[in-house]
Amino acid sequence: MSTPEPVAVVLVDDHRMFRSGVKAELGDTVRIVGEAPDVDTAVAVIREQRPPVVLLDVHLPGGNGNGGVDVIHGCRGLETPTGQPVRFLALSVSDSAEDVIAVIRAGARGYVTKTINATDLTTAVRRVADGDAVFSPRLAGFVLDAFGAAAGEIAEVDEELDRLSAREREVMRLIARGYQYKEVAKELFISVKTVETHVSSVLRKLQLSSRHELTAWAMGRRLL
Amino acid sequence: MRVDPELTLKAPRGALNALGGSRSVRQDELMPTPYERPPAPGPSLDERRAARPVLSRPAEGRVVAGVCAGLAQHLGWPVSVVRVVLALLSVPTGAGVVVYLFLWALAPQSQGGVVAGRRGRAAMDPGLGAPAPALPDMPEEERRSARVLLVGGLLLAGGLVVVAQNAGFNLRLGVLVPLLVVATGAILAWSQLDDAQRGRWLGSQEGARRFSVARLVLGAVLAVAGLVILATRGRSLAAIWDIGLATLAVLAGAVLIAAPWGLRVWTELRREQAEAARATERADIAAHLHDSVLQTLALIQRKAEDPTAVAQLARAQERELRSWLYAGPAGSDATLAAAVAEVSHDVEDLHGIPIDLVATGDRPLDERGQALVRALRESLLNAVRHGRPPVSVYLEVGPAGVEAFVRDHGPGFEMEEIPADRLGVRQSVLGRMQRHGGTARIRRLEDGTEVALSLPAAAPETQPTAAEEHHEHA
Repeated sequence: MSTPEPVAVVLVDDHRMFRSGVKAELGDTVRIVGEAPDVDTAVAVIREQRPPVVLLDVHLPGGNGNGGVDVIHGCRGLETPTGQPVRFLALSVSDSAEDVIAVIRAGARGYVTKTINATDLTTAVRRVADGDAVFSPRLAGFVLDAFGAAAGEIAEVDEELDRLSAREREVMRLIARGYQYKEVAKELFISVKTVETHVSSVLRKLQLSSRHELTAWAMGRRLL
Repeated sequence: MRVDPELTLKAPRGALNALGGSRSVRQDELMPTPYERPPAPGPSLDERRAARPVLSRPAEGRVVAGVCAGLAQHLGWPVSVVRVVLALLSVPTGAGVVVYLFLWALAPQSQGGVVAGRRGRAAMDPGLGAPAPALPDMPEEERRSARVLLVGGLLLAGGLVVVAQNAGFNLRLGVLVPLLVVATGAILAWSQLDDAQRGRWLGSQEGARRFSVARLVLGAVLAVAGLVILATRGRSLAAIWDIGLATLAVLAGAVLIAAPWGLRVWTELRREQAEAARATERADIAAHLHDSVLQTLALIQRKAEDPTAVAQLARAQERELRSWLYAGPAGSDATLAAAVAEVSHDVEDLHGIPIDLVATGDRPLDERGQALVRALRESLLNAVRHGRPPVSVYLEVGPAGVEAFVRDHGPGFEMEEIPADRLGVRQSVLGRMQRHGGTARIRRLEDGTEVALSLPAAAPETQPTAAEEHHEHA
């Protein structure tokens, strides 16, 4: 997108077959600078490489037993050589709300499922490298549910942490319907950059909100 | 009956199960309910079972512990006859009481659904002629008066004993009274067994448990006191003290010696139980994996040259395994979201094109919801036939109504371009939604097509729509 240079990525996943699959798929748009099969190796490799993006499996052996969350905690405050924070994109086969909520609240910039195709994954990696958030349709659906937006709760001011603003709700709804960012932009007559701003703001709310449904919902039920 | 027996019997326990049938098979395996089996070729077995229900103590319609009620059911006699006979047997020698206690200890308790079908059949059997159906529906007041009668009878018997004693008969009250005390204590404590059993069915509550503990303690105290009186008849207080001390010392010694041994037996037992549970679980998982994953893998190897089929198989298997691992509570099938999920899985299986489903909110599935699901299915079929993947479905259930979106990435189509004879979209999607007070909108996007279905929350005139829906099926 903006940078023609390939993005350096560390790939953390405990399945060797999946790692080699991703490597082959991503080709030369993304440069894999390191791999790790478990939490402790991952923290060591990321600290050494300091990549702009880490592709992070949610379920990993080692650490405190919290998988990807432990890796994010272990790399807190780490910066790339250019002064950007190291950003995490969670990648998982699991659809359970506990996993989604845990890894996002730990600080991941996005969440995609492993069935994502190579083009979308490349776009997602670039987007995360640029500091934006990546929401899969499923994560958008989860957000709408958890913030009560589907039930009609709308924030009066944008800064309110426990509810989505009307615009954020619209963006989330379109993403849940399977729209790409640029399609969302076209639909709402706004720029892609504005869409990205809205998504990032939703991500921030997801990370900071103390809305009890967010945790209660995640504990009590799993994503479809 | 929830599980269609024919379906589960016919479905091969093979990879095809992975494409939808295996859930019902698994339920059938988990809950082998003999009373729900379809009527076997010979109905004689059924009749025989109906003629002589297994002896059990029903929790409903009982006065004391349900022994008489159960016995009446088992023998096919009127319950009052059984009660009178047992009472008469008890008067001279106490044989009735012994029989009662014996049956109480041995007959299992039954409740509600467990015996309902059985009893229903017995009651309907004309050959028996016994007014068995009158028994389970015994009203609460009647039962209470029966209990009052029972207590009155016992008091009367006590009074008679006292009168007889005063009149000069030697009934050896010194033995009789402690014996009665022991018996009362034992009954009090034993009746806990029943309550513990029932508690497992109902889910016990804190207050009830405290009450039952109190009853247990009271029963134990009564029994011990009775035994002590019996054993120390006619001795002085000091002698009793000595005997008590000696007994305590012996007991303490026995406990000291037996404790480690008993503890080991107990832990062994627990370990064995846990192991057995784990083995069952493992066997269950192994059986499931064998029926689903292994079969699918075999199929995939055979179809390795057909990538579409392989992808379809893998997708179906993934979904099946996921639903097995993360299955929600049973009985959630009748909701809108569940119905939409089912329909999209259905279409996915039919055409082998993955469908991404996102659903927020949920509500019970009513008739209008069903119409929406049908329209959604038609839109999905359209999307997978004429569109290109990825196909995605978004369902939003809110207080204002239900909205559903089906989106594909195909070349798209315009309403005007559809020939008038193509009933699919016009009738099944647009027409159906309108008849149920909703709307359907088809939009052509830059990349693909989107069908938007919406159904407001408030139901309009439902009567004509129901009629029309029937017409539609005809």
